[in-house]
Amino acid sequence: MITLRGLTKRYGAATAVDNLTFDISPGIVTGFLGPNGAGKSTTMRMILGLDRPTSGSVLVGGRQYAALRHPLREIGALLDAKAVHPGRTARNHLLAMARSNGIDRERVDEVLATVGLTEVAGRRAGGFSLGMGQRLGIAGALLGDPPVLMFDEPVNGLDPDGVRWVRQLMRSLAEEGRTVFVSSHLMSEMQLTADHLVVIGRGRLIADAPIEEVIAASSLTAVRVRSPEPSGLAALRERLAARGAGVESRDDELIVTGATVEEVGDLAHGLGLRLHELCTREASLEQAYMELTAGSIEFAAGGRNEEAA
Amino acid sequence: MTRTIGDAAWADGRAESTRTREPSPGGTGGGLGGAIAAEWTKLWSVRSTWWSLLAGVVLMAATSLQLALYVANSNTNTDPTDDRGVVAVGQTAIGALELAEFAIVALAMLMITSEYSAGTMRATLQWVPRRGRMLLAKVAVVVPVTFVLGTALGILGALVAKPVQGRWGSVPLPGTAGDALAIGGYLALIAVFTLGLGAALRSAVATLITVFMIIEVVPTLFNVSHIAAVKRLADLMPAEAGQHFMLGDHSPYPAGVGLLLLAGWAVAALIAGYAVLRRRDA
Repeated sequence: MITLRGLTKRYGAATAVDNLTFDISPGIVTGFLGPNGAGKSTTMRMILGLDRPTSGSVLVGGRQYAALRHPLREIGALLDAKAVHPGRTARNHLLAMARSNGIDRERVDEVLATVGLTEVAGRRAGGFSLGMGQRLGIAGALLGDPPVLMFDEPVNGLDPDGVRWVRQLMRSLAEEGRTVFVSSHLMSEMQLTADHLVVIGRGRLIADAPIEEVIAASSLTAVRVRSPEPSGLAALRERLAARGAGVESRDDELIVTGATVEEVGDLAHGLGLRLHELCTREASLEQAYMELTAGSIEFAAGGRNEEAA
Repeated sequence: MTRTIGDAAWADGRAESTRTREPSPGGTGGGLGGAIAAEWTKLWSVRSTWWSLLAGVVLMAATSLQLALYVANSNTNTDPTDDRGVVAVGQTAIGALELAEFAIVALAMLMITSEYSAGTMRATLQWVPRRGRMLLAKVAVVVPVTFVLGTALGILGALVAKPVQGRWGSVPLPGTAGDALAIGGYLALIAVFTLGLGAALRSAVATLITVFMIIEVVPTLFNVSHIAAVKRLADLMPAEAGQHFMLGDHSPYPAGVGLLLLAGWAVAALIAGYAVLRRRDA
């Protein structure tokens, strides 16, 4: 469990993280989304006590990071895969890490095997590919067998096999009851991995909800009704509009937003309308995300660089 | 075969690492002891440490040799019955430090500045989040390492100097041992001083320049001044204080004062480093 309360970070006049309050719960994968510059990395650094909050607080398992005697046994984190001395071997890196927190030496070889780096454990990390560095970072996060795990862009640089492995790892970690907090820009990957989403933009909280809710709230999530009776469709359209739903009609169909498939079905039944099709068209996470963050893109392409903070 | 275990675990996504284990008892490991063990492992697992040691040995041997040659060749005392012009070989080794000490400066500096240049400081502080504990762990590693190394370098310098100085070199046993230990102590304190400055400045270049200015350039400038008060200031600088401590020359102050002055510089640098670590984001 990670608890953020009014967490704020300012650099001079610029506010990187603005009054974030949310909980990251155990037993599920929580995705952390936001455009570049939204404050995701700053938030993660504050969770680990690397950056000092300007105000507010963040607790890991009810305690401040710096107060943890064995932080690596409480929370494992992959922030920057490059944070390894290029001249140190993978095994020595993990060995130093294990010693700092009183973790068994055998555990080093275990996590090396888990991420598939056993063969290159004696090689200097400076020669590692992006994917290998990423795996070493994941090994470090797993080293202390912690109840809370945090990953910043974990699939960055991994091949499709590796991406799938990370997804399964996240899922299994959450199934074991651990808290899993993961940021990514890959929406399709998030849609497959996350149960819950926290979306921020310009440092502010935009959404904190189960992934289904985020998708359902999108204007692109709609109910499609098809009927051979134009007059009946027109009547249905009026009823729906009267309830405040958004309706768009094309040929023999209506696209309804802001109403559930059950509500539309019941209304059609009340009108005695003959239907050929009644279904929900779900927005993708990517579409929902784009809508949510449309107002908070810091560096938009195509010269629309509004308000360069 | 380890290979198959690793590959299988990677391929089928079985999170082997995540077998739930008994929670480790809270009191074991970690803390300052763990931080020191981690720093020890880090120090000896990079090549730059070994290069620094090698540089120390080469610089000490070469500079002692050169100084010993000066002692032997420039001697104008032709009366072999008195001991004017005889220099204890331990003192030759102390003189050689002017160059050799930079190998120790490099070793101590890299312990902290490489954390910033390689971006590993964030990892280090994840392992040991308390800034003071992290810095103290580095001190606890660098002090014994540089003390032992420095003492060994002192003995090496004396051994190199003896045959070259010939009858112009004396080897009083307790005196030479004392010189070697004093070199160890001096280098350990210079290492702490460098470590503290490195923590405060974060950059290798800035640290090296600052250390070089403080232990070489500034005292030299002070010494060429015609103003007596400025010359006296030079004696307060760390390297000069260290020289007075090692040579035990009682002028302008006793050896103990030199040691205290040097220790004061080391502690001041550490406090500056700690203050920066506390104040600034990692």
